[in-house]
Amino acid sequence: MIAAVLAILSAVFFPGIILRVKSIASGRKGPGILQPWKNIFLLFRKSSVFGTTTSFIFRLAPAFYLATIICALLILPFPGLPSVLGFSGDFILFAYLLALGKLMFIIAALDTGSSFEGMGANREALYSMLTEPAFFILFGTLAMLSGHLSMQDIFSGFSFSGEFSLIAGAISVYILVQIAMIENSRMPVDDPKTHLELTMVHEVMILDYSGVDLALIQTGTNLKFVLYGGLIANLFLPVNGGWLIPNVILFLLVQAGFAAVIGLMESFRARKKLAKNPQFIVTLSSIALLAFLVVLLLTRNLIR
Amino acid sequence: MTNMLIIVFAISLIYLSVTERFRIYAGLVGLQGLLLFGLSFLQLDRITLATVLFVAIETLLFKVIVVPFLLFRIINRTGVARVHEKALPSFYSLLFVSLGLLLSVIVAFSMNTTPYNLMFFIVSFFAVYTGLFLIISHRKIFSHLVGFLVIENAVLLLSLAIGSEIPMLLNMGILLDIFVSVLILGIFVMRLRQHIDDLTILKDD
Amino acid sequence: MTQFFIPAAVVFSFLILVIPGKVRYLYTLALTFFVIVFTSIPALAQFITGLPVTGMVSGNTSFESLPFTWIFKGFLGELRFTIDSLSAFFILVTNFTVLTGLLYSKGYMKSYKDTKNSAQFALHYFSYIWLYLSMLAVLTLRDGLAFLIAWELMAVSSFMLILFEAEKRTTLKIAVNYLIQMHIGFILVLLALLITGSDTGNMSFDALPAYFATHNNAGLFFLFFSGFAIKAGFIPFHTWLPEAHPAAPSHVSGVMSGVMIKMGIYGIIRVLVCVQSDLFLIGWIILVVSAVSGLLGVMLAITQHDLKKLLAYHSIENIGIIGMGIGLGTIGLGLHNPLLATLGFAGGLLHVLNHSLFKSLLFFTSGSVYQAFHTRDLDSLGGVIHKMPHTAGLFLTGAIAICGLPPLNGFISEFLIYFGFFTGLSYGSVYLSITLLLAIISLTLIGGLAIFCFTKAFGVVFLGTPRSEIKHPVTEAAAGMLFPQYLIAGFIFVIGFMPMIFLNPLFNLISIEFHLHTIQLSPALTGIFTKIPLFGIILIILVSLILILRQQLHKSRKPEYGPTWGCGSPYISSNQQYTGTSYADNFIDLAQPVLGTRKEFTGIKEEEIFPGKKSFGMHPNDIFNSALGRLNDVGMSILKKLARLQTGNIRHYILYAFIFILVILTLLYLKIL
Repeated sequence: MIAAVLAILSAVFFPGIILRVKSIASGRKGPGILQPWKNIFLLFRKSSVFGTTTSFIFRLAPAFYLATIICALLILPFPGLPSVLGFSGDFILFAYLLALGKLMFIIAALDTGSSFEGMGANREALYSMLTEPAFFILFGTLAMLSGHLSMQDIFSGFSFSGEFSLIAGAISVYILVQIAMIENSRMPVDDPKTHLELTMVHEVMILDYSGVDLALIQTGTNLKFVLYGGLIANLFLPVNGGWLIPNVILFLLVQAGFAAVIGLMESFRARKKLAKNPQFIVTLSSIALLAFLVVLLLTRNLIR
Repeated sequence: MTNMLIIVFAISLIYLSVTERFRIYAGLVGLQGLLLFGLSFLQLDRITLATVLFVAIETLLFKVIVVPFLLFRIINRTGVARVHEKALPSFYSLLFVSLGLLLSVIVAFSMNTTPYNLMFFIVSFFAVYTGLFLIISHRKIFSHLVGFLVIENAVLLLSLAIGSEIPMLLNMGILLDIFVSVLILGIFVMRLRQHIDDLTILKDD
Repeated sequence: MTQFFIPAAVVFSFLILVIPGKVRYLYTLALTFFVIVFTSIPALAQFITGLPVTGMVSGNTSFESLPFTWIFKGFLGELRFTIDSLSAFFILVTNFTVLTGLLYSKGYMKSYKDTKNSAQFALHYFSYIWLYLSMLAVLTLRDGLAFLIAWELMAVSSFMLILFEAEKRTTLKIAVNYLIQMHIGFILVLLALLITGSDTGNMSFDALPAYFATHNNAGLFFLFFSGFAIKAGFIPFHTWLPEAHPAAPSHVSGVMSGVMIKMGIYGIIRVLVCVQSDLFLIGWIILVVSAVSGLLGVMLAITQHDLKKLLAYHSIENIGIIGMGIGLGTIGLGLHNPLLATLGFAGGLLHVLNHSLFKSLLFFTSGSVYQAFHTRDLDSLGGVIHKMPHTAGLFLTGAIAICGLPPLNGFISEFLIYFGFFTGLSYGSVYLSITLLLAIISLTLIGGLAIFCFTKAFGVVFLGTPRSEIKHPVTEAAAGMLFPQYLIAGFIFVIGFMPMIFLNPLFNLISIEFHLHTIQLSPALTGIFTKIPLFGIILIILVSLILILRQQLHKSRKPEYGPTWGCGSPYISSNQQYTGTSYADNFIDLAQPVLGTRKEFTGIKEEEIFPGKKSFGMHPNDIFNSALGRLNDVGMSILKKLARLQTGNIRHYILYAFIFILVILTLLYLKIL
């Protein structure tokens, strides 16, 4: 529970840090840290325009999207404190809750009857399908390394000491960062700044949303980022044998660092050709497979 | 440390199967040379000092400096297309290479080697598979050269694993192979520059 | 004395043929209800209370239970109907789906009133009852000959049901293809039972343990497996499924897909219970075949244009998932790990129940769409949700359930199988771990592909604007048709939110049938399965809160309505939307070598300044179908060559007889015969 609270806390400054880092990297001063949330509050105050082709699905989807992300946040573990809602195998529920949100989102996009949204929907469906194996292989690796199946136990048993843990940890961080970028449709899969048909995956699906619904969706997107940030932060915890305050500070620091890294990656990377995206995403699964095989042989005491 | 370098080597192999630009190809081969240099340096306690120094200098000099330099020179001089054509789309080569990773783990596992050697064996089998796969699935002769270089790297990796048994002759052979291939291609290609298209594509499209 | 309901049911079923049309439906419903009540009571008793014969539950006793038996002694010998816990589970699954199918068919058959006469209706309902009765017989008979007769009755009655629209030539061809394939399965099962019978003297499933104790297990098991796999629809035995399900009327498709193919799974498990050695190998092969079935099934589903064919391929995928659970369970048995075995079998069996529910729901909703629009082609439909909101909501429920998403029931069974795979990763050899990882990757991909496919199916059919002009008026399906669908949806929600009600008896069932000690595992798993529904409840609460918030915010700000944004174009038409083909195109390009779909289009040439009329077509292709077609051609050419022997000249035939006698005499002389 506390991880969820901390994650929401870090969500307050997360998008602001990304924007600020991108601005500084391009030589500008950039907006304030709280600017993205001010935009969202502005949207809450506006009224909506609904398309005439849309049905109740269009109105339900933002609620489902946000609700599934909040539910997934509740599964996030925090070291030292016993997890109230965690259980063995909870990462499976985690992945599938996010998939439910995505499904509702995709059909809401198709609800508008526009070719733009159809484009985004079909790309989003394909890319999220291809990232799932990487996520599961990663958790299979971590489960084998720690010998447990609940997120709480996996992460509390994980530390960066030891050569193989370092390797597995580094690969896990890399894969989680990339999955977070792909799921939120950032570089190199998609460019959030442009609104051309060729680059749109996520941005185009919300083209017809306005007002309160759009605010809900943007809140969800920001929370999704800190969700993955929370997973990455858990890899670095626990520190100093489980005291509360250093863990909290490290958690927030890692989230801020993650935001900065995203900002930097977005500034210095170009978008890939759309047809090359599937192979980029499957590369992640290959690397995860490599990590899995190494950890498998390690746990069977076949490599020193 | 050794294991980390070996795993980075394996990751470079995965990227080698997906990239499409010749410069990155050449860069990755250079990176592999650098990793091999590090690995040979770390084998100090297992092999005699003279052999290690020889292998280290050879790797550093040739694989890290000379070979990439020659490769980049070829790219610049001949103006080969920056994106190479393949007979197989990237997505499938990635799947095949992942299959190769699984196969090399299974083969190496069934060989019952010592724990220390297993990583070396796995990644060198994987590198041989990837090198062969690069040669099979690409059309341009430049890619074939890179595949050949990857196989040479694999052989060197394996010889590092076997450790105290490296004969000098094996090293000489590796050196000669590299020189012959790169220099001949370089000389050949630079002389016959106007006929470059006939050389770089093995088959009519 | 209760056993006399069986001959009573048989006799009463024949009365359907003579009863007048007005009463016929009610009569059939009453008869079905009567049989359901009589079979469900002992089945429920058997399923829920697996009585421990030894009384006290401690760590080392396993559950035993006495199966429920009806015996008929007659002049042909004894006929035994046995309901043990496995049969009980399948009987309960069958009863529910058959009932909902019959309730649905009332409204569905109304659209056929003008084209079919009374005799055809009577025959249809008669076949329906006989399909139900034969399925019950398959589940309760153990004697080989009786089982095979029941199996054959099942094939014939489903054949009659598929043939309801026999005025179309394609339906006739498809039904005959189906019958032939069922008979191939029949022959394989017959062979397997004959081998058992000739060896142990008793041609029955009860004789299998004795056989397996002394002979090679894997060979006979795979013979049984091939026979039952044709019924179940594993790849490569599946070629009848995608043709037969669309050709049949929707309630029949729902029953066939929901229950009849599970008879194959029942047969496999029935044989598996008796297998004693080679379990690891058997489990591994079942796992591989199922993973391939699952992946190929869903990949082929994505390429389909026809809504019901798409759903039929999804049945193949779900059979694959069930098979993966069973394979995992068998591997667990082979490794003597009761946790793996329980997780695998529980996941597989629960998925049997779940699949029968959501698949029948999906077929019923697509039947409603077909009845309203008279077309099943995805690319001609669109915007159905505005005309048929209830049907759309029910289809969405079925779609979410089939993709295995929380909080519905599909997630529970897939979670069990995933959990089993992940538990098995740290256990056993390196090869096992690699196999399990590949199985995890397959299951993940199957889930992702299912989401892809159902967003396509739901989005293209129900959402957007209509893609072709509909000239007749369209209304929502009748309340009589919606009622069974809501019943099924309710059951889906119940399983999703209270899985332990169903899992506890299932765990007992597995421990009884496979002689495991699973008692001490239940507390750990109970904890998990009380937390998962908790998340479902939290999800629903959160959604409601957000919707209420949204409602409040909208009170003060009135929403406006406008057309969908069209990039400033004044001309927005419905064919600018994504069709099913364009949605799937992304994926089909990636998986082209496996799928073999053909794209035919006339492109715009370079010199064409004013392009003329062009055409585009994408044809889905099933490589197994074409392989079967080629096999057929080879067979036909051989037979044609043999046909030259039939010259029509009687003197040639006398010559053949003479040659035959000579051959026999030579063989006798050489003492070979």
